[in-house]
Amino acid sequence: MGKKKQKLVLPPELPPEVPDEDIEVSDEDLQFFNENLEYAGFVSNLDTHSITKHVTRVADAKEGDLESLYEKRLRKRLENKEKEPTAVEVDPVDALPVKTLDGQLYYRRVAKEPKEAEPVSGDPALVKLTKAEKRAKLKKLRKEAKKQAKEEVQQTPQAEVLDEVKKDLTAEEATEMKKYKLAELGTALLADPESNIKNIKEMLEISKDGNSAIVILGLKSLLAVFKDIIPGYRIRLPTEKEQEMKVSKAVKKMRFYESTLLSAYKAYVQKLVSLQHQAVYKRVAVRCLCTLLAAVPHFNFRDSLLAAVVKNITSQDDVVRKLCGTAVKSLFMDEGKHGGEATVEAVKMIAELVKAHNCQLHPDSVEVFLSLSFDEDLGKSRSSDMDNRTKNKNSKKRKGGDEPNDMPNNQGKKIRKEMISKTREEVSADFKAASLAQDPQEQRRLQSQTLSAVFQTYFRILKHAVLPISETSSVPGASRGHPLLASCLNGIGKFSHLIDLDFMADLMHCLRKLAGRDSKLGDSSENYSCLTVSERLRCCIVAFKVMRNNLDALNVDLQEFFVQLYNLILEFRPGRDQGEVLAEALKIMLCDDRQHDMQRAAAFIKRLSTFSLCFGSAESMAALVTVKHLLLKNVNCRNLLDNDAGGGSVAGAIAKYQPHAVDPNRSGALASVLWELNVLLKHYHPAVSSIASGISTMNMNNSQVYHSHVSPQQAYMELSQENMSFAPPTDIKTANNKRQKGMDKLPVKVGSDLNLKVQFDENEVRKKLAEHFFLLRDIQENERLRSELDRTTLSLNLYERYKKRKKRKTR
Amino acid sequence: MRPLDENETTLVFNKLHKFVGNNLKNIVLESQSHEGPDANPGRYCFRLQKKRVYYVSESLVKRATNIKREKLVSLGTQIGKFTKSGKFFLTIQSLNLLAANAKHKVWLKPTSEMSFLYGNSVLKGGVGRITENIQVNDGVVVFSMADVPLGFGDAAKSTVDCRKMDPNGIVIHRHADIGEYLRMEDEL
Repeated sequence: MGKKKQKLVLPPELPPEVPDEDIEVSDEDLQFFNENLEYAGFVSNLDTHSITKHVTRVADAKEGDLESLYEKRLRKRLENKEKEPTAVEVDPVDALPVKTLDGQLYYRRVAKEPKEAEPVSGDPALVKLTKAEKRAKLKKLRKEAKKQAKEEVQQTPQAEVLDEVKKDLTAEEATEMKKYKLAELGTALLADPESNIKNIKEMLEISKDGNSAIVILGLKSLLAVFKDIIPGYRIRLPTEKEQEMKVSKAVKKMRFYESTLLSAYKAYVQKLVSLQHQAVYKRVAVRCLCTLLAAVPHFNFRDSLLAAVVKNITSQDDVVRKLCGTAVKSLFMDEGKHGGEATVEAVKMIAELVKAHNCQLHPDSVEVFLSLSFDEDLGKSRSSDMDNRTKNKNSKKRKGGDEPNDMPNNQGKKIRKEMISKTREEVSADFKAASLAQDPQEQRRLQSQTLSAVFQTYFRILKHAVLPISETSSVPGASRGHPLLASCLNGIGKFSHLIDLDFMADLMHCLRKLAGRDSKLGDSSENYSCLTVSERLRCCIVAFKVMRNNLDALNVDLQEFFVQLYNLILEFRPGRDQGEVLAEALKIMLCDDRQHDMQRAAAFIKRLSTFSLCFGSAESMAALVTVKHLLLKNVNCRNLLDNDAGGGSVAGAIAKYQPHAVDPNRSGALASVLWELNVLLKHYHPAVSSIASGISTMNMNNSQVYHSHVSPQQAYMELSQENMSFAPPTDIKTANNKRQKGMDKLPVKVGSDLNLKVQFDENEVRKKLAEHFFLLRDIQENERLRSELDRTTLSLNLYERYKKRKKRKTR
Repeated sequence: MRPLDENETTLVFNKLHKFVGNNLKNIVLESQSHEGPDANPGRYCFRLQKKRVYYVSESLVKRATNIKREKLVSLGTQIGKFTKSGKFFLTIQSLNLLAANAKHKVWLKPTSEMSFLYGNSVLKGGVGRITENIQVNDGVVVFSMADVPLGFGDAAKSTVDCRKMDPNGIVIHRHADIGEYLRMEDEL
């Protein structure tokens, strides 16, 4: 039946078959041909030349060879026929056939099965189905499967009854059977886990199948089952002593249930861990592991789950890595499920991993730390607890002091009271052990462990980054670049309030070294790896955050980091480096700091306004907001706004502005004039030009109590978002008018902005197209009219001739 | 009046280096004076006169040669003097030079300014702001919160240690302060 189709798919195979076509055509084929005549249209288009070439080639071959050649062909043909029924099922898009050297075709049959596989588990990681839904889905699936089976049964008689086909079919049936089995077992388990617990072992058996599709299905359905039936507590297997004891029926049943569940779970986890090394199952296994870790972190065998997931967090495969990352993050986020112990373990494992790989990992592995959360009063709560305790003691003492006065001779009562208090303590201890609510002290211990592991990792990365390349490269496998540095700096910035003061000096030292590592510094820095501008800016930001969060008592001036920032502004390239980081640095270092040296502030004002000339609009907006801040705070710096160079009395020791000075204090910026603002007034972006005019009109002597509420970061974000859809104020209409005047300057003026150009182009194109089509229509109209005219003249002529003839005849 | 010999130069430069660090080359090489009638700006140099070290522009030095050594009282800016035992110490007149190039700075709260100007050391409670990375015995220039240089001294504690100190601990040992212009008018 699918013969013609087959032909279409395999044109090169056909020509040699032509000679024995007559013999082979069956009735069915004829019937099909008659029914679908239009399909056969291609026959007329056949390349007869090439066919004859093939035929003659065959004819030229030696006689003996010829026979075998035909034999082969016959066999091939038969084989092709066998394949037809199965081949039809395969979507040709999904599975192109593979042709071996001897001309045999292999279809990939796997392609069909994963499609079915999905509804079974319904991608459990994403959608958590309720039991009812699951059951419904399973039923539906079964129905579908049955239908398909029927279809197959119908198809079979059509095909030639051959052994191999049978084999194929039986295999397929077997897989179908297994699928049903899985579905049935799974539903039974979900419906009543306690009585059907044995099913789980069968499911495990099925998932050991050789067929990869079945294995995947098995793993997924097992995952769904485990996720549902795993209890909310950790199972402890009874000791021998306990087993010897006589127990009630219910307890026995429960124990049996738990032990089977546990052993099955163990086998399952082990299977997953072993399967993740095989390429075929890798993703499935990792997804299962991650889902289990996220769903049941309190249960047994968490260690092996964690180990596997953490190991995969640096995988080359993006999907796997992301899965693991989200799993670990979810572990960190809801600690209520496992009481924080898993967090400590995971963090320690990641720390080990970083150590083992010598900091050459994917940044995702450390980024997960960012979702950790610590109590803000990690240090404070202890003292308050102590206070409480002492208070309690005091009150107790007071009470104790009172008691003997009341009843000095009542010894019996006293003893009884002691007894009562003792039992109470015991009960409360038991309650604590049983209840989910954690002991705050325990929690604090876990958190401090986590914190120390996190900072250990961070400091290791920093230290590694500080080391010169010559040292690190002696370690095999170490490459240049510090992939972890950025996320590490983010992390330190986030947890800076938790850093111990004792580490502070070393930390600052490291950061200073990193921030000061100039990529251009020539020979001395050659054995250092270069950091990008953003990374160095980050270093500065982190240093400021650390300082600010820890030292409210002592105001430390981070001179060196200011010098770094001053020079980094020079190296900043809007396209290459991240503008957000620059905006953040400007905010934290220049806007949030309370006071600055006058010289330094002036130097920054001058440099920022100079560079807002050549930044993009968003960056220059951030820079200008900062300039405004600085000018508002430093009244003396408003000298820069006056139109006389030299700076007058405040100019200081340096009489002339030195734009290339490295140290902002030595630049003598107060001697210069902010002429940049005037140029910025003509900025193409209205917001930038408005803020520039706002700055330039700032008054020298009135100390405005004006506080701009916009931070550079906000300004940057606003403009960079706006930039996506930003069309300069010149409207299309005005643009049209201007173009008519022959305005070629406009695109030059806003040359940087592509948007406008595009709009111009669009307009022009539209107009030209319109013209073109008008012209075309005119031509058509013209032609039509002409043809009409021709026709009428022709008919007129004909009529004339006819008349003449008639006249002649009548004569 | 004579240039400093080698020993004296090392002494003076060591002392200055303690306060200004690498900015010393600004003081010695790069700063230019526009004094005098010469068209091209001259440099500054150090001259010794009666045990006192002066920071003088070259054109002034040329003109000062016209005056006898005994009669020459002062020229340029005095920055320090050699003691009888041959040690060099900076005097308060060098403050402007140091303040412009200072590496380590401390800003005093307004309440503790007067105490410092009377010749007392700087206590931790009086520190309004401090540059990071000061080590013990580094030279530190003292400013008021309004960035007016007040004097200079030695760090008694590093910045890191300052955090843990109690507010009455000494942060900076005073060398010189601008109060000396009144208190020790005769000796200067």
